[in-house]
Amino acid sequence: MLRALDEFIAATPQPQRAGVRAVLALARRPRGAALLDRVPPLAQVGRALAGMDRYEDPAVARSLGWDADAVVARGRALRRAEGRP
Amino acid sequence: MIEADVCVIGAGAGGAVLAAELAEGGADVVVLEQGPSHDPDTFTARPPQMLARLYREAGQTLTLGTPPIVLPLGSGLGGTTLVNSGTCFRTPPHVLDRWRADFGLPLDSETLDRCFDRVERALSVSEVTPELAGRNAAVSLRGAAALGWSHGYLRRNARGCVGSGVCAFGCPTSAKQHTGITYVPRAEAAGARILTGVTVRRIEVRSGRVHAVHGVHGRRADGQRAEQIEVRAPRVVLAAGTIHTPLLLAANRLGAESGQLGRNLSVHPATAAFALMDEVVDMAKGVPQSFYIDQWASDGIMFEGIAGPPSYAAASLPLQGERHAQAMRSYRHLAQLGLMVSDSSRGRVRAVAGRLGRGRMGARVGRGRMGAPLITYDLDAADLSRFRTGLQHMRELFLSAGAREVYLPVPDGVAPERVRAKDLRLMAFHPLGTARADADPRSGVVDGDLRLHGLDGLYVADGSVVPSSLGVNPQITIMALATRLAYHLLERPCPS
Repeated sequence: MLRALDEFIAATPQPQRAGVRAVLALARRPRGAALLDRVPPLAQVGRALAGMDRYEDPAVARSLGWDADAVVARGRALRRAEGRP
Repeated sequence: MIEADVCVIGAGAGGAVLAAELAEGGADVVVLEQGPSHDPDTFTARPPQMLARLYREAGQTLTLGTPPIVLPLGSGLGGTTLVNSGTCFRTPPHVLDRWRADFGLPLDSETLDRCFDRVERALSVSEVTPELAGRNAAVSLRGAAALGWSHGYLRRNARGCVGSGVCAFGCPTSAKQHTGITYVPRAEAAGARILTGVTVRRIEVRSGRVHAVHGVHGRRADGQRAEQIEVRAPRVVLAAGTIHTPLLLAANRLGAESGQLGRNLSVHPATAAFALMDEVVDMAKGVPQSFYIDQWASDGIMFEGIAGPPSYAAASLPLQGERHAQAMRSYRHLAQLGLMVSDSSRGRVRAVAGRLGRGRMGARVGRGRMGAPLITYDLDAADLSRFRTGLQHMRELFLSAGAREVYLPVPDGVAPERVRAKDLRLMAFHPLGTARADADPRSGVVDGDLRLHGLDGLYVADGSVVPSSLGVNPQITIMALATRLAYHLLERPCPS
């Protein structure tokens, strides 16, 4: 199964997709991140992508009080119980 | 070939409403929607995944200019109502007055009120309760109350909401009453035929009036276009959204006489600030956009709630390195507030050939080929001033609420009052105006009845007809205008 961020990147249109991949690769490495810092808008994109990736990890998110699976399960149960669309 | 009384292109805020009202009024309606029908069982409450599935271009639609602005657009039945925050404001009276005076629009207040009533009933619009608003709202409203600023809870189209915190990423409880689960089923029940996965290419005109719509339905496994579709209808309503409606008109050499097609784009540029609080906030528990602070609404500055899960917060937190990591470790103590500007800046939508990256930038787009949107928009000095003022107010508000630290979306070391346009990190959610309504055919693309100037049978019913920035979230303005158009086409008054 694709990770959430991989699915996001795959759905990003070209030419942004190639740029997103390159920026993310740099943002994940200390030297790459330092390079990105020289171009603030790119650094921001890199940090956003890296942050989204890290905090999408279910264990990390749960440690911060957010459980996406529980939110989805509650929603599904409510929809079934109340006949919602 | 399909025959119908009316062909509606797009099933978002405008198209879905129009299709349901027309079908229930006895018209034979066909709806052509480019996106899919989304099954809520596939909603995962994971922002990156939902951006990929529910948004055009994974939510990465961008404006070019200073600064670049992310302009996320929904895709599928419901359009952007599927992924918006559900906020429902009626058109402010001073805006309606301006539309009457400056654009000659014959907007009768009594009729419009009936349209709004009808929309609000259909969407179960009601005010958010303090309990459902959650602690993120409590922080900002505490600050607003301490400062004596005007504020309140928002009215939203939700029924049975439990505060899942992911309105923008697919409501997992189907509590948000977007048009894909309200008006679209009504339209179908009344006999409308809804076709998804259809890309409209051509609007055929014969003898000065619209004759048919041509599109392609789906794709074969090898990526080639599949079935060709032709819908013959004496009336066509274009509701493809503010970005794509002008492209489709331009590709068909329609609506260009005034020189206004694709111009006058307003977007309500927006940004957000965070605050680190002593208390546990758990910003994603509750309705993300549940309150407003309208103390400076008349100056074009509006504050509204915004919040989301950790991955969303991490992507938007304006910090870097260890400071970012440290703030995220305190995610449960973070509060967030959004700032939206009623813009005087104006942008433009044009087509580039093919899809970006595959086509030729700037190449001429041929007849019947819509191309991809190229959106240009530069923030003007007045809007920059609004952002400077708004950022200062945000800091004041959070400090008044007891924040330990405030994180403004400006570069390190730059004071909000000195921020430059290129320093701002903006998003926008309310594109409007690219086929604006104006009674004068020299100044507008459609007339006061939303009919394309100079062509019988073709109407527009989406945000593109809204002639000026609203200062508030536009979804029910678009829906009320679509309701008004439906009853105009049915040649009967909108029921009270």
